[in-house]
Amino acid sequence: MENIIIKEVPDAPYYPTVNFDVQNGVCEISGESYMEETFKFYSPLLEWIKKYLEDKSKPLTLNFKLTYFNTNSSRLILDMLDIIKKSKDEGNKVIVNWYYDAADPDMIDEVEDFEMETGLDINLVELKK
Amino acid sequence: MFKVGYDNDSIISFKGPLTVGLLSFVGNSLKSIIRVENSLAKRIFRIFIELTQNVSYYSAETIEVEKGIKSGVGWFIVKENSNKYNVTTGNLIIREDGFKLIRNCDEINSLTEKELRELKRRTRSQAIERDVGAHIGLIQTSLLSGDKLNYKVTELDDIHSFFTISVNIKK
Repeated sequence: MENIIIKEVPDAPYYPTVNFDVQNGVCEISGESYMEETFKFYSPLLEWIKKYLEDKSKPLTLNFKLTYFNTNSSRLILDMLDIIKKSKDEGNKVIVNWYYDAADPDMIDEVEDFEMETGLDINLVELKK
Repeated sequence: MFKVGYDNDSIISFKGPLTVGLLSFVGNSLKSIIRVENSLAKRIFRIFIELTQNVSYYSAETIEVEKGIKSGVGWFIVKENSNKYNVTTGNLIIREDGFKLIRNCDEINSLTEKELRELKRRTRSQAIERDVGAHIGLIQTSLLSGDKLNYKVTELDDIHSFFTISVNIKK
Protein backbone atom coordinates (compact mmCIF):
# COMPACT_ATOMS: atom_id res chain seq x y z
CA MET A 1 0.00 0.00 0.00
CA GLU A 2 1.11 3.51 -0.73
CA ASN A 3 0.42 6.77 1.01
CA ILE A 4 -2.08 9.18 -0.54
CA ILE A 5 -0.90 12.76 -0.59
CA ILE A 6 -2.96 15.46 -2.26
CA LYS A 7 -1.46 18.88 -1.81
CA GLU A 8 -3.24 22.21 -1.65
CA VAL A 9 -3.92 23.76 -5.05
CA PRO A 10 -4.32 27.54 -4.63
CA ASP A 11 -6.24 27.87 -7.92
CA ALA A 12 -8.62 25.08 -6.96
CA PRO A 13 -9.59 25.56 -3.30
CA TYR A 14 -12.58 23.28 -3.84
CA TYR A 15 -10.31 20.24 -3.41
CA PRO A 16 -9.28 19.37 0.13
CA THR A 17 -5.73 18.47 1.03
CA VAL A 18 -5.32 14.81 1.87
CA ASN A 19 -2.62 12.90 3.71
CA PHE A 20 -3.21 9.18 4.25
CA ASP A 21 -0.14 7.67 5.91
CA VAL A 22 0.15 3.89 5.85
CA GLN A 23 3.18 3.79 8.20
CA ASN A 24 1.61 5.51 11.20
CA GLY A 25 -2.06 4.86 10.32
CA VAL A 26 -3.06 8.51 10.42
CA CYS A 27 -5.36 9.96 7.76
CA GLU A 28 -6.04 13.64 7.50
CA ILE A 29 -8.45 15.59 5.28
CA SER A 30 -8.43 19.37 5.53
CA GLY A 31 -9.55 22.50 3.72
CA GLU A 32 -12.73 22.72 1.66
CA SER A 33 -14.56 20.15 -0.46
CA TYR A 34 -16.97 21.14 -3.22
CA MET A 35 -15.42 19.80 -6.41
CA GLU A 36 -17.46 18.88 -9.48
CA GLU A 37 -16.67 15.16 -9.69
CA THR A 38 -17.11 14.21 -6.07
CA PHE A 39 -17.37 10.44 -6.52
CA LYS A 40 -14.21 10.33 -8.63
CA PHE A 41 -12.29 12.25 -5.98
CA TYR A 42 -13.44 10.23 -2.97
CA SER A 43 -13.46 6.69 -4.44
CA PRO A 44 -9.68 6.12 -4.07
CA LEU A 45 -9.82 7.40 -0.49
CA LEU A 46 -12.62 4.98 0.40
CA GLU A 47 -10.77 2.10 -1.26
CA TRP A 48 -7.58 2.96 0.63
CA ILE A 49 -9.35 2.90 4.00
CA LYS A 50 -11.13 -0.38 3.20
CA LYS A 51 -7.85 -2.01 2.20
CA TYR A 52 -5.95 -0.64 5.20
CA LEU A 53 -8.57 -1.94 7.62
CA GLU A 54 -8.43 -5.48 6.19
CA ASP A 55 -5.57 -6.05 8.64
CA LYS A 56 -7.46 -6.05 11.94
CA SER A 57 -4.33 -5.44 14.01
CA LYS A 58 -3.56 -2.04 12.50
CA PRO A 59 -5.06 0.97 14.31
CA LEU A 60 -6.32 3.93 12.30
CA THR A 61 -6.86 7.55 13.22
CA LEU A 62 -8.92 9.72 10.91
CA ASN A 63 -8.58 13.47 11.40
CA PHE A 64 -11.08 15.72 9.69
CA LYS A 65 -10.06 19.36 9.47
CA LEU A 66 -12.56 20.37 6.83
CA THR A 67 -13.87 23.91 7.12
CA TYR A 68 -16.48 23.41 4.42
CA PHE A 69 -17.95 20.55 2.41
CA ASN A 70 -20.97 20.63 0.13
CA THR A 71 -23.82 18.14 0.44
CA ASN A 72 -22.44 16.00 -2.41
CA SER A 73 -19.16 15.62 -0.53
CA SER A 74 -21.04 14.88 2.68
CA ARG A 75 -22.57 11.82 1.00
CA LEU A 76 -19.09 10.39 0.42
CA ILE A 77 -17.85 11.38 3.88
CA LEU A 78 -20.83 9.42 5.22
CA ASP A 79 -19.63 6.39 3.25
CA MET A 80 -16.18 6.79 4.77
CA LEU A 81 -17.63 6.91 8.28
CA ASP A 82 -19.83 3.86 7.55
CA ILE A 83 -16.72 1.88 6.56
CA ILE A 84 -15.02 2.98 9.80
CA LYS A 85 -18.04 2.04 11.90
CA LYS A 86 -18.27 -1.40 10.35
CA SER A 87 -14.59 -2.14 10.94
CA LYS A 88 -14.82 -0.85 14.51
CA ASP A 89 -17.70 -3.24 15.13
CA GLU A 90 -15.47 -6.01 13.78
CA GLY A 91 -12.74 -5.20 16.26
CA ASN A 92 -10.49 -2.65 14.53
CA LYS A 93 -9.05 0.13 16.64
CA VAL A 94 -10.24 3.30 14.94
CA ILE A 95 -10.49 6.85 16.18
CA VAL A 96 -12.24 9.69 14.37
CA ASN A 97 -11.44 13.27 15.36
CA TRP A 98 -13.21 16.27 13.91
CA TYR A 99 -11.43 19.59 14.39
CA TYR A 100 -13.73 22.60 14.35
CA ASP A 101 -13.71 26.33 14.86
CA ALA A 102 -15.71 27.41 17.93
CA ALA A 103 -17.09 30.30 15.87
CA ASP A 104 -18.71 27.85 13.45
CA PRO A 105 -21.78 26.33 15.15
CA ASP A 106 -23.12 24.95 11.85
CA MET A 107 -20.15 22.55 11.69
CA ILE A 108 -21.03 21.06 15.09
CA ASP A 109 -24.53 20.29 13.74
CA GLU A 110 -22.94 18.55 10.76
CA VAL A 111 -20.80 16.32 12.97
CA GLU A 112 -23.81 15.49 15.18
CA ASP A 113 -25.75 14.48 12.07
CA PHE A 114 -22.91 12.18 10.98
CA GLU A 115 -22.85 10.59 14.44
CA MET A 116 -26.59 9.97 14.40
CA GLU A 117 -26.50 8.56 10.87
CA THR A 118 -23.60 6.17 11.46
CA GLY A 119 -23.80 5.37 15.18
CA LEU A 120 -20.09 6.17 15.33
CA ASP A 121 -18.48 8.26 18.08
CA ILE A 122 -16.69 11.27 16.63
CA ASN A 123 -14.43 13.31 18.92
CA LEU A 124 -15.07 17.01 18.48
CA VAL A 125 -11.81 18.86 18.96
CA GLU A 126 -11.85 22.64 19.15
CA LEU A 127 -9.15 24.31 17.07
CA LYS A 128 -6.90 26.57 19.06
CA LYS A 129 -6.44 30.03 17.61
CA MET B 1 -19.91 38.84 -17.95
CA PHE B 2 -20.05 39.90 -14.31
CA LYS B 3 -22.28 42.66 -13.13
CA VAL B 4 -21.39 44.18 -9.82
CA GLY B 5 -24.03 46.30 -8.16
CA TYR B 6 -26.20 46.71 -11.24
CA ASP B 7 -29.21 47.76 -9.23
CA ASN B 8 -29.61 49.30 -5.80
CA ASP B 9 -29.27 46.25 -3.62
CA SER B 10 -27.45 43.74 -5.83
CA ILE B 11 -23.86 42.83 -4.92
CA ILE B 12 -23.05 40.53 -7.81
CA SER B 13 -24.83 38.65 -10.56
CA PHE B 14 -23.84 36.36 -13.40
CA LYS B 15 -25.49 34.51 -16.24
CA GLY B 16 -23.80 31.65 -18.08
CA PRO B 17 -22.14 28.31 -17.33
CA LEU B 18 -21.67 27.94 -13.58
CA THR B 19 -18.33 26.15 -13.38
CA VAL B 20 -16.83 25.28 -10.01
CA GLY B 21 -13.89 27.60 -10.73
CA LEU B 22 -16.23 30.55 -11.22
CA LEU B 23 -18.34 29.71 -8.16
CA SER B 24 -15.26 29.33 -6.01
CA PHE B 25 -13.94 32.69 -7.19
CA VAL B 26 -17.25 34.49 -6.63
CA GLY B 27 -17.95 32.71 -3.32
CA ASN B 28 -14.57 33.64 -1.91
CA SER B 29 -14.84 37.20 -3.26
CA LEU B 30 -18.18 37.50 -1.46
CA LYS B 31 -16.46 36.69 1.83
CA SER B 32 -14.24 39.73 1.39
CA ILE B 33 -16.92 42.03 -0.11
CA ILE B 34 -19.39 41.28 2.66
CA ARG B 35 -17.76 42.55 5.80
CA VAL B 36 -19.71 40.66 8.42
CA GLU B 37 -18.84 38.34 11.28
CA ASN B 38 -17.21 35.08 10.32
CA SER B 39 -20.12 32.72 11.01
CA LEU B 40 -22.55 34.77 8.88
CA ALA B 41 -20.02 35.06 6.03
CA LYS B 42 -19.57 31.27 6.14
CA ARG B 43 -23.31 30.73 6.04
CA ILE B 44 -23.74 33.01 3.01
CA PHE B 45 -20.85 31.24 1.25
CA ARG B 46 -22.31 27.77 1.98
CA ILE B 47 -25.80 28.73 0.79
CA PHE B 48 -24.33 30.35 -2.32
CA ILE B 49 -22.39 27.18 -3.18
CA GLU B 50 -25.32 24.80 -2.53
CA LEU B 51 -27.77 26.78 -4.67
CA THR B 52 -25.40 27.55 -7.52
CA GLN B 53 -24.01 24.01 -7.66
CA ASN B 54 -27.56 22.72 -8.03
CA VAL B 55 -27.58 24.79 -11.23
CA SER B 56 -24.14 23.45 -12.28
CA TYR B 57 -25.16 19.83 -11.69
CA TYR B 58 -28.81 19.80 -12.70
CA SER B 59 -29.65 22.59 -15.17
CA ALA B 60 -31.35 21.24 -18.29
CA GLU B 61 -29.17 23.58 -20.32
CA THR B 62 -25.49 22.70 -20.48
CA ILE B 63 -22.43 23.97 -22.31
CA GLU B 64 -19.22 22.09 -22.97
CA VAL B 65 -16.76 24.37 -21.17
CA GLU B 66 -13.74 22.19 -21.85
CA LYS B 67 -13.38 19.13 -24.02
CA GLY B 68 -15.55 16.46 -22.40
CA ILE B 69 -16.59 18.64 -19.46
CA LYS B 70 -20.11 20.00 -19.40
CA SER B 71 -21.37 22.67 -17.07
CA GLY B 72 -24.93 23.69 -16.25
CA VAL B 73 -26.09 27.07 -17.46
CA GLY B 74 -28.15 29.48 -15.37
CA TRP B 75 -27.87 32.68 -13.39
CA PHE B 76 -27.43 33.92 -9.86
CA ILE B 77 -27.86 37.20 -8.01
CA VAL B 78 -26.60 38.01 -4.53
CA LYS B 79 -28.28 40.98 -2.91
CA GLU B 80 -28.01 42.92 0.29
CA ASN B 81 -30.44 45.27 1.97
CA SER B 82 -30.64 46.80 5.42
CA ASN B 83 -31.52 43.65 7.35
CA LYS B 84 -30.73 40.66 5.13
CA TYR B 85 -28.76 39.06 2.34
CA ASN B 86 -30.45 37.21 -0.48
CA VAL B 87 -29.23 34.56 -2.91
CA THR B 88 -31.36 33.78 -5.97
CA THR B 89 -30.65 31.35 -8.80
CA GLY B 90 -32.49 30.44 -11.99
CA ASN B 91 -32.14 27.61 -14.49
CA LEU B 92 -33.92 25.60 -17.11
CA ILE B 93 -35.37 22.26 -15.97
CA ILE B 94 -37.21 19.38 -17.63
CA ARG B 95 -40.92 20.10 -17.20
CA GLU B 96 -41.58 16.70 -15.59
CA ASP B 97 -38.88 17.30 -12.96
CA GLY B 98 -40.67 20.50 -11.97
CA PHE B 99 -43.48 18.61 -10.28
CA LYS B 100 -41.05 16.73 -8.05
CA LEU B 101 -39.16 19.94 -7.26
CA ILE B 102 -42.41 21.62 -6.19
CA ARG B 103 -43.25 18.65 -3.92
CA ASN B 104 -39.76 18.71 -2.40
CA CYS B 105 -39.73 22.47 -1.79
CA ASP B 106 -43.25 22.42 -0.30
CA GLU B 107 -42.28 19.58 2.02
CA ILE B 108 -39.13 21.41 3.14
CA ASN B 109 -41.14 24.57 3.80
CA SER B 110 -43.65 22.67 5.94
CA LEU B 111 -41.08 21.19 8.35
CA THR B 112 -39.56 22.36 11.62
CA GLU B 113 -35.76 22.55 11.98
CA LYS B 114 -35.67 19.23 13.84
CA GLU B 115 -37.77 17.53 11.16
CA LEU B 116 -35.58 19.06 8.44
CA ARG B 117 -32.45 17.59 10.01
CA GLU B 118 -34.13 14.19 10.14
CA LEU B 119 -35.12 14.54 6.48
CA LYS B 120 -31.57 15.54 5.60
CA ARG B 121 -30.10 12.46 7.28
CA ARG B 122 -32.67 10.19 5.67
CA THR B 123 -32.22 11.73 2.21
CA ARG B 124 -28.44 11.53 2.48
CA SER B 125 -28.40 7.88 3.56
CA GLN B 126 -30.63 6.95 0.65
CA ALA B 127 -28.87 9.06 -1.98
CA ILE B 128 -26.78 7.40 -4.67
CA GLU B 129 -23.07 8.25 -4.31
CA ARG B 130 -22.65 9.01 -8.01
CA ASP B 131 -25.68 11.28 -8.24
CA VAL B 132 -26.74 12.68 -4.90
CA GLY B 133 -29.55 14.79 -6.39
CA ALA B 134 -30.76 18.34 -5.84
CA HIS B 135 -33.03 17.51 -2.90
CA ILE B 136 -30.41 17.44 -0.13
CA GLY B 137 -28.91 20.74 -1.29
CA LEU B 138 -32.32 22.36 -0.93
CA ILE B 139 -32.78 20.91 2.56
CA GLN B 140 -29.33 22.18 3.55
CA THR B 141 -30.09 25.62 2.12
CA SER B 142 -33.27 25.86 4.18
CA LEU B 143 -31.48 24.64 7.33
CA LEU B 144 -28.62 27.12 6.97
CA SER B 145 -30.79 30.11 6.12
CA GLY B 146 -33.48 29.38 8.71
CA ASP B 147 -35.87 30.70 6.07
CA LYS B 148 -38.47 29.28 3.71
CA LEU B 149 -37.49 28.51 0.13
CA ASN B 150 -39.13 31.03 -2.19
CA TYR B 151 -39.37 29.18 -5.46
CA LYS B 152 -41.21 29.44 -8.72
CA VAL B 153 -41.64 26.97 -11.56
CA THR B 154 -42.76 28.53 -14.84
CA GLU B 155 -43.79 26.19 -17.65
CA LEU B 156 -42.23 27.27 -20.93
CA ASP B 157 -43.38 24.57 -23.34
CA ASP B 158 -44.16 20.82 -23.39
CA ILE B 159 -40.58 19.92 -22.50
CA HIS B 160 -39.09 22.67 -20.40
CA SER B 161 -39.87 24.80 -17.36
CA PHE B 162 -37.83 27.51 -15.66
CA PHE B 163 -36.97 27.17 -11.98
CA THR B 164 -36.04 30.10 -9.74
CA ILE B 165 -35.26 29.82 -6.07
CA SER B 166 -34.50 32.53 -3.58
CA VAL B 167 -33.54 32.52 0.10
CA ASN B 168 -32.97 35.25 2.64
CA ILE B 169 -30.22 35.19 5.23
CA LYS B 170 -30.86 37.47 8.20
CA LYS B 171 -28.08 39.83 9.22
